[in-house]
Amino acid sequence: MVAVTPPGSVRGSGAPAPLIASFEAAAGLGRHHPGGAVLRVLNHKVAGKYAGALGGFGVCIICWEIVRGLQLIDPRDLPSVVAIVRTAIRELIGGPLALAVLTSLLAWAPGLLLAAVIGTVMGIALAMLPNLDVASRPILEFLRPIPSVALIPIALLTLGVGIEMQLTMIAFASVWPIVFSVKAGVEGIDPRFQETGRIFGVTKGTGIIRIVIPSMLPSLATGVRTASAIALVLTITVEMLIGRPGIGRYLDEARLNGLVTEMWAAIFVTGIVGYIVNGVMLAAERHLLPWSAENRDQ
Amino acid sequence: MIAETDGAILTVDNISRSYPGAPVPILDGLTFRQKRGEFVAIVGPSGCGKTTLLRCCAALMQPDAGSVLHAGQILSDPPPWLSIVFQDYNRSLFPWLSVKQNVGFGLAHVGKHERDERVAAALRAVRLDHAAELYPWQLSGGMQQRCALARSIVVRPKLLLLDEPFASVDAQTRFDLQDLVMEICRDMSLSTLLVTHDMEEAVFMADKVVVLSTKPARVVDEVAINIPYPRDQLATKETPEFLRLRHQVYTLVRQQIRH
Amino acid sequence: MTNSVQRIRALSLQIMLIAGLLAIWQWAAVTFPGPTLPPLLAVWRSYWRLVQGDLLHTAVLPSLYRLLIGFLIAAVGGALIGLAIGCSRSLDAWSRPVLEYLRYIPAIAILPPALLILGPTDTMRIFVIAFGCIFPVLLAAIDGAKRVEPTFLDTARVNGLGAIARIRRVVLFAAMPSLFAGLRIALGLGLIMMVISELIAADNGIGFFILRSQRLFQSAGVYAGVLVIGTIGWLLTAGLLLVERRVLHWHRGWRGLPVD
Repeated sequence: MVAVTPPGSVRGSGAPAPLIASFEAAAGLGRHHPGGAVLRVLNHKVAGKYAGALGGFGVCIICWEIVRGLQLIDPRDLPSVVAIVRTAIRELIGGPLALAVLTSLLAWAPGLLLAAVIGTVMGIALAMLPNLDVASRPILEFLRPIPSVALIPIALLTLGVGIEMQLTMIAFASVWPIVFSVKAGVEGIDPRFQETGRIFGVTKGTGIIRIVIPSMLPSLATGVRTASAIALVLTITVEMLIGRPGIGRYLDEARLNGLVTEMWAAIFVTGIVGYIVNGVMLAAERHLLPWSAENRDQ
Repeated sequence: MIAETDGAILTVDNISRSYPGAPVPILDGLTFRQKRGEFVAIVGPSGCGKTTLLRCCAALMQPDAGSVLHAGQILSDPPPWLSIVFQDYNRSLFPWLSVKQNVGFGLAHVGKHERDERVAAALRAVRLDHAAELYPWQLSGGMQQRCALARSIVVRPKLLLLDEPFASVDAQTRFDLQDLVMEICRDMSLSTLLVTHDMEEAVFMADKVVVLSTKPARVVDEVAINIPYPRDQLATKETPEFLRLRHQVYTLVRQQIRH
Repeated sequence: MTNSVQRIRALSLQIMLIAGLLAIWQWAAVTFPGPTLPPLLAVWRSYWRLVQGDLLHTAVLPSLYRLLIGFLIAAVGGALIGLAIGCSRSLDAWSRPVLEYLRYIPAIAILPPALLILGPTDTMRIFVIAFGCIFPVLLAAIDGAKRVEPTFLDTARVNGLGAIARIRRVVLFAAMPSLFAGLRIALGLGLIMMVISELIAADNGIGFFILRSQRLFQSAGVYAGVLVIGTIGWLLTAGLLLVERRVLHWHRGWRGLPVD
């Protein structure tokens, strides 16, 4: 099978191959398949990546401008791409958008940290205390699918509109992937590690610190990476709903004040922030946990 | 271009194929012919590019240079009269279809009544009529490969390609399947191209054995097998002629591995 | 024997924990009366009105209707586009960087422009729900289509199937396990987007009911609303799993797992 699917070849995916072949047959290109060679060069890893990215974003921008040009949507609601990018840069360099992004991240980071700490403790406890795991299962199974945004009104009732409420919501929403990831990680530890520890005279308490925690760090990292996206959603939602400063409020105020270009610019920037956050998480994981599975694949 | 003047169903003419990034081509100037009704076996050291060759012969893949002629024509897609049985039945029988639906897969254009009849006939031919409603993954390896065989013959092909079809089953099942395939191919007067690494199997089943070299694959020699059909697993394999031919093919392949 | 003893033990542990937590809640609600923690009976009454009484039609059903429509649009659209992208190398190379960027925009950010362009309408809410749901489905479909066994596709080509027939008869089924994993994630996100779209701009729906109860300091209503959302989420997930079991029963058998 390996021989059939080398990287960069037509690779069994089938669909493009007959297209190329029939095109060549139609064009009378016969045996030497220059078209195939050209495509293979284009699909060359690096070149293909940049060409694809340019092409993909190019098509999106053109579609956007066509929708604008045809006035399918009120053009006042849909500023041109150039205007959006220019506004984004203006608002970012010493502008209020930079401040909003920073404020949001300053709520996001401690919330996520809180979730990581609580999630780790809960995950280890659930994995190592079977009774607790069994007893709490129905409650957790019921709580987990409840979207945390639905709890914002409850948090408003009990915690008010301060930073503690925002942090609680962020932590509550992002704790679940961490809990379940850590739990799976601890349960998946090879029992030989524990036995090795016991042979070397490691007690149960120090075993958690010296064996359990290092072994489950890769799972924790995966959980935190999933959680970071959820935490960002909650950060922005809380800001939007209760007017705490940050990207969410910036977006909502831009809409209410009719600053349409600023609104789109903020969305554009939010995507970049999300992308960078994920990239930083991956880089940190690669750097700090060289033994995690993410790295071993490469 | 070679015209169809010689009655060949498959002409592989000096084909080469390489994969981007690989230093050595996998096929290099490979040539052989298959006459109508002929049973050709291709043997060679493992990893020499037999599967790539078979994909070229099926028109699933185009060679970089040279040409593959199906009944005298260069094709960009497999013709309707060509059929394949792959080695790995677990990855070629659709797990979401029952045995019956799998066998009828290639008959979408045929009316339901005729389709049912042809599927039933094909299942009878491979002695699988009792398992029509089961799923392939509920069957043993040998039964699954029989199901794949039924799916290939139900479309009434002229050329049947077999890609190591008996490699994933146990020895006894392999002999039964070999007998079944020879019987079906003779009954339907099919042209059959078998790719295998089992030299005894090649000599036992084929009219002609094509021996390939190590990578990059070239044709080392062609050995004609003039043993009359029907062949028998015990009697044929004890004849001096069989032993001589087996010795000849073994020697050719072993010389390749030494190189 | 030991199995049933274990099950009884587990069940009693679970009941004890739930009963204990409820008792603490009730004790706290009675001891410190106020808007933060309503007594259990009030929450139950409010919950019952939502699932059974007059509020079913003004709060629960509109939400459910929008969620299902949005989810279906995302499921069908995401699957179709994703399978097409996954089957084509060039489409994949073009769309991947764009999708990699778009997926990191928190879906909530789409709400202000949706509100601006579509206004506070049901169309807007359905659009927002579909937008939130579509990315997991899309990515799962692309992934599923790219991982189809090459031999399946070869078999399809040898049997004379064209590109469309290949997608419809082979890729769709082979990608189904991956697709369902995406649908499960999408359902959770759909629930989130449903609530958010109603918290911000609505005159009916469960999110609106929760928000109004909170503004009126009817905390029992807030808790009951959250419980109803939990119930909806739980029921829809169970329903999806049921469909998955039926559609994918072959997958378990193929992978060598027990089939019921």
